[in-house]
Amino acid sequence: MDDIKKLTIKSAKAGLEKKEFTADELRKEFLKLIKKEEKLNAFISILDSEPVIGVYKLKTNLSGVPCAIKDNILIEGTITTAASKILKNYVAAYDAAVVEKLKSAGAVFLGKTNLDEFAMGTTTENSAFGVTLNPNDHSRVAGGSSGGSAAAVAAGLAVYALGSDTGGSIRAPASFCGVVGLKPTYGRVSRHGLIAMASGFDQIGPITKNVEDAAMVMNVIAGHDQLDSTTSPKSVPDYTKNLGKDIKGYKIAVAKEFFKTGLNSKVANLIEKAIAKFQSLGAHVDYVSLPLTDYALAVYYIIVPSEISANLARFDGVRYGHSASDTKLLIETYLFSRAEGFGPEPKRRIMLGTYVLSAGYYDAYYLKAQKVRTLIKQSFDKVFEKFDVIVGPTMPTTAPKIGEFETPLSAYLADIYTVQANLAGLPAISIPCGTIEDGNKNLPVGLQIIGKHFDEEKIFQIAYAYESNR
Amino acid sequence: MKLTQKEVEHIARLARIKLNEKEIEKIAEDLGLVLNYFDKLKEINTEGIEPTAQVTGLENIFREDKINTEMAEISGEKRGKILAQFPHKKEDHLKVKQVFESR
Repeated sequence: MDDIKKLTIKSAKAGLEKKEFTADELRKEFLKLIKKEEKLNAFISILDSEPVIGVYKLKTNLSGVPCAIKDNILIEGTITTAASKILKNYVAAYDAAVVEKLKSAGAVFLGKTNLDEFAMGTTTENSAFGVTLNPNDHSRVAGGSSGGSAAAVAAGLAVYALGSDTGGSIRAPASFCGVVGLKPTYGRVSRHGLIAMASGFDQIGPITKNVEDAAMVMNVIAGHDQLDSTTSPKSVPDYTKNLGKDIKGYKIAVAKEFFKTGLNSKVANLIEKAIAKFQSLGAHVDYVSLPLTDYALAVYYIIVPSEISANLARFDGVRYGHSASDTKLLIETYLFSRAEGFGPEPKRRIMLGTYVLSAGYYDAYYLKAQKVRTLIKQSFDKVFEKFDVIVGPTMPTTAPKIGEFETPLSAYLADIYTVQANLAGLPAISIPCGTIEDGNKNLPVGLQIIGKHFDEEKIFQIAYAYESNR
Repeated sequence: MKLTQKEVEHIARLARIKLNEKEIEKIAEDLGLVLNYFDKLKEINTEGIEPTAQVTGLENIFREDKINTEMAEISGEKRGKILAQFPHKKEDHLKVKQVFESR
C-alpha cells in the first residue's frame, strides 16, 4: 500500500478486487495519512467510528473507495459545521441526498472537509476553523470555498471528494490545487441536505484526480430528487460512455474577454497551449465575445448576498445552532446569537444582501442585476448556437499567498471567470493544464471548460481527450 | 460612497445582527467599496429586459396534496434528532425568551 496517495477510483477498485487490500485496511491507511498531514487543515472532522462508514460489500465503482465530504453537506449523526461557529455542535438529523446515494453505492466516508464559512469565499481563509494550506506550497491558500476537499484530493488524503459551487467554489480550489473539479448544470444534482448559501446557484459536484473519476462520481450523485424541486427529471446518461472518443470536428469557443486585464501572462500562456492542443486533436477553435464578462461579478455579488440574507435568517438561536446566553428578550436572542455565531464574511454578505433588498434600493440593485443576468444568459445562448463548449482560464492567477487578498472586493474579483457559469446555470469543469514555477515550487493552473445545459457528457469527453494527450 | 453609521445600524437591525462599533466602521467601509463597484451596472441598458430568476426552464413544480406515508415515517424517525437540537426546550416544545418588553 505504498502509493495509496495516488489511488484513483479505478485503481482503488482494482486493488480491492485483487485483494491487495481490504476496504477496511484502505480506510485505516487513509485515516493515518490524514493524521500525518494534519497541518494542511483539510479536514474539520474525521469519521473514524463505525456507524458512518457505510456498506462496502456492494460491487459498484465506488464501493469501498474512501472519499471526503465538504462540511456543508449533511451526514446523519455527525457534526456538520459549514465552518461556522454558529453550527459548531450541530448534529445532522438526516443524510443529504448525495450522501444517501453514495452510501447506497457503498462509499466510505473519511471525514468532513474545511471550507470558507457557509461556502462564502475563494480562499478558505473565511473558515472559523482556520485556512487550508495548498499542498503544493504551504505558504499559499488551497482556494475556496471547497478548499479542504481539493487539498485532500491533491495531497492524496482521499481518493475523491464532494464540494459545492455557487460562484466557483469547486473550480477555484481545483485550479489552485491541481485537481479536477466539476460544477454540474443547475438542477443536475440534488441539494437536499446541503446547507444553503444561495439556492439559485448552489450545486454539488465531484473533486477528483482525473476526469474519469469525476464522471464515475457523477454517475452516482446526479438525478432527480423530489426533495429538491429544482432538480431536472431528465435521465442521467452514463458519463463514462464517451470518454476516449475523439473530438475531431468539435467546435470550441474561446472568449476574448477572458484574456483581458487581470489575467496573469504565464497563466495565459498555458491556456493558449491548451487551446493549441485542442486544435491538434482536430477540434475547430474560434474566438467569440462574452461582452458582459466585466459586469458578471457585480450581478453575482448583488444576487448572491440577497439570497444569503434570506437563507441565513434561519440561524436564529432558537431551533438549532448557537444560542446566546443571558438574553431577556427574544429579539436579543436573535441579535446576539447571530452576532456571536457568524464570522466577518457571513455578516458582511448578510448586511450587503439586506441593504440591496431594502426599501428604495431593490430596483436599483436586485432587479437591475436580475435583468443583466438575462443578458448574460442570452450571450451564452448565442455562443452555444454555434459551439459545443467554451474554454478559458479557471482563475486569473495561481494560488495566492495566505493573506494576499487585503479587501473583500479584491477576493471577489478573483471569481471573474467562474461566476458566469453559475449565473447562466451552465456546467463547467476545471482540469489541470500545467504548472508555473515560483521559487522552488510548482503552482498548478486550471483550464475551464463550460458546456451547454445538461451537456456534462461532452465536457467530460473533451476534458478527457485533453487530459490523455497532454 | 461610504455608508453612514446610522445606515449600517439600521441594516444590522433589519438583519438581526448586533454589531459592535468596530464592525460598524469596517462594514460601512467594505460595503461602500462594493456598492461603488455595483455602479458599473448603470452602463448597461436593460430597458424592456425581463429579469431572470431561473435558468434551466423548469417552472411550477407541483405534487399531489397527499401525505407521502414513506416520507412521513422517515420524518417521524428523525423527530427526536431534530428536537435534540433545540437549544432551549420544555418537554418537546421550543422554549423562547419573552417577546414583549414588560412595562
